[in-house]
Amino acid sequence: MAIQDPIEEGLASGWKHIDASQLSEGRTLEADVVIVGSGAGGGVAAEILTQAGLSVIIVEGGPLKSSNSFNMEERRAYPNLYHQAAGMKTKDKAIGIFQGRAVGGSTTVNWTTSIRTPEPALEFWAKEKSVTDLSRAELDPWFQKMEERLNISKWEYEPNRNNQALKTGCEKLGWDFTVIKRNVKGCWNTGYCGMGCPVNAKQSMLVTTIPSALDLGATLVSRAKVIELEHHNGKITGVKAQALDEQLKPTAIELNLKAKHYILSAGAIHTPTILMRSGTDDPHQLLGKRTFLHPTLLSGAVFSDPINAHSGAPQSIYSDEFVWRDGAAGELGYKLEVPPVHPILISSKTIGYGKSHAALMENFNQLQVTIALVRDGFHPDSQGGQVHLTDTGFALDYPLTDAFWHSARRAFASMAELQFAAGAKQVLPISEGVSYLNSWKEAKSVIADMELAPLKTVVASAHVMGGCAMGEDTKIAMVDSHGRSHYYENLSVMDGSIFPTSLGANPQLSIYGMTARNATKLAEELTASSLA
Amino acid sequence: MERRTFLTTALVGTATLALGLSVYSPEHIRVNKALDSEHRLLFSVLLPVFLEDALPNVETTRVAAQNRTLDAIAETISHLPQEGQAELEQLLDMLEQRLGLLVLTGSMTPLMMRSPDELISMLEYWRNSFIDLMVTAYQGLRELVMASYYACPEHWSRLHYAKPTYFDN
Ligand SMILES: Cc1cc2nc3c(=O)[nH]c(=O)nc-3n(C[C@H](O)[C@H](O)[C@H](O)COP(=O)(O)OP(=O)(O)OC[C@H]3O[C@@H](n4cnc5c(N)ncnc54)[C@H](O)[C@@H]3O)c2cc1C
Repeated sequence: MAIQDPIEEGLASGWKHIDASQLSEGRTLEADVVIVGSGAGGGVAAEILTQAGLSVIIVEGGPLKSSNSFNMEERRAYPNLYHQAAGMKTKDKAIGIFQGRAVGGSTTVNWTTSIRTPEPALEFWAKEKSVTDLSRAELDPWFQKMEERLNISKWEYEPNRNNQALKTGCEKLGWDFTVIKRNVKGCWNTGYCGMGCPVNAKQSMLVTTIPSALDLGATLVSRAKVIELEHHNGKITGVKAQALDEQLKPTAIELNLKAKHYILSAGAIHTPTILMRSGTDDPHQLLGKRTFLHPTLLSGAVFSDPINAHSGAPQSIYSDEFVWRDGAAGELGYKLEVPPVHPILISSKTIGYGKSHAALMENFNQLQVTIALVRDGFHPDSQGGQVHLTDTGFALDYPLTDAFWHSARRAFASMAELQFAAGAKQVLPISEGVSYLNSWKEAKSVIADMELAPLKTVVASAHVMGGCAMGEDTKIAMVDSHGRSHYYENLSVMDGSIFPTSLGANPQLSIYGMTARNATKLAEELTASSLA
Repeated sequence: MERRTFLTTALVGTATLALGLSVYSPEHIRVNKALDSEHRLLFSVLLPVFLEDALPNVETTRVAAQNRTLDAIAETISHLPQEGQAELEQLLDMLEQRLGLLVLTGSMTPLMMRSPDELISMLEYWRNSFIDLMVTAYQGLRELVMASYYACPEHWSRLHYAKPTYFDN
């Protein structure tokens, strides 16, 4: 059956879209505002600023892809829609990082879990990170606005069995759990959110804010990678971007973008990278430091009945039983969720090869996978990672500390306990040297002694945050509590890089809400100044 | 030469290509190496080990699956960032050379001449090594092979999995 493709329709209706891979010579473009990146932050900012009557150019390094090309195969989705074809790693290769790179950014591929910023995180920022005016009372109207805009509501259907196991485990153990709110409209419950929604049900930036900005006359430049900002006397004077070819390899063609105001929304890692490469002011050497990942551990469980974790809404239940238990600055807490299970994802994020791996894969449909996302950046021994420039790009150096491993051990135990309580026959913590565990009793003693180490224990992340923190104290913050640069009067940052710590919750709604607030304020200022 | 026939020709021919050749011949006559810029011969030795029990048992389908995986590996590598490609290339080059083999595996015997058990010992040696370089070599190859093999829908029947067919595009 044919699905309507809003992108193709929009392009046919005359949207201003420049696919830089098709350019034969350089271009200079001008607008009121240039936005770098089209993900959660860039998308929301683009819609709000165009609605305020400002002219906007959105420049995106990835391609403009749409439902017609989303064929529910990882082999197409990863190279098309993810940074480094979903194979990005930290410098020592101990953590695999998933981050979107296409129009819509990570929202084009994310799993739709929508959570308001947890209060303990906001309180910690107010108390320790000089963030002002960012309480839940201040933010809730913005969350509500974005929840309405993106159709965010509680998932009323039965959870799939992967999520059901998480729920059953929590019920049996008396642990806290929550039914997830999702940004979907007319969801087919297929389970392929991570490969681009094939039916345009996911209310990602690709099908909501970006089309609405384009309808209002914004210009989208895709396959154009921003290399640096030009600056002079406390002002940004231009943005230089490099056209990429269809394979996203650099070409010699350059674009120059000029505006009154510039917004960086390239996401954590990339926003600091652009600033570092531009040599912008950073007297306290903060850029790229304190990059957070919610480093995530995996626990597999074999059930007798089919789980079919590839099918159905990927995330519909979470448990916060262990996230804040020891206080924000106490032991690193962890959030329990489940991931969708697809062939490449699970074959590469497990361990071993040959017979043992083939046997694991034969249990593909019986496999329940629970994940523990570790809340980094609050504890003194959890300083996150640091982005460095390299000759060809960047590297993220993220040391996994003892404080992390301590929590990882607790998390493996919690996951095993939960999975056995939910009826698992066997549990397999995804770390070298552990074999299938047959009971909670056995799991408890094995996990207490198991070796946990970088490269031996599988650690992954889909939540890249920080590296360009907000706050009023310039010793610890690059931008103020509204995302305005402390050093350049016409520069803002609107994306996940402004978080001073991780969140202890999936980030998208935090970015939507804070960006809506900050972009609205900016729009007021820019329109007032252009009237003046 | 057609990619798909190359592998069989090379195997049927002699062991003088790439892996074997560089062991017995001076660097300058490694002309045939040009035919194997994707390290297909090297991977054809490693695939049966990494994918034991996953590859089909029937010879013809097995060869097809291996060739498909070799294509997928080349594709996967092409998507790696420049630095990742350079690192991998260095590793693969080392595995095709006498000194490299000695450094990485403690033996100069070309991989093609090693038995499956010897290849497993080599992987286990890397896997359990205290040297990060060895562990990353193991994991890099492992992830590359697994991701490439399971990228192909033709290899999903053993998982009893297929993608939904509501719409064909
Ligand atoms: C697989 C996956 C699943 C996820 N699931 C969830 C979930 O269920 N719930 C949730 O809340 N969060 C989820 N997330 C995370 C969430 O999507 C991100 O936190 C959020 O989208 C980040 O927003 P952002 O604006 O900071 O960056 P992004 O959305 O990543 O957008 C940044 C954009 O900038 C572009 N860019 C980068 N550098 C440049 C440059 N130099 N020039 C031009 N453009 C550039 C990138 O290509 C990208 O498109 C998931 C992420 C992934 C990858």
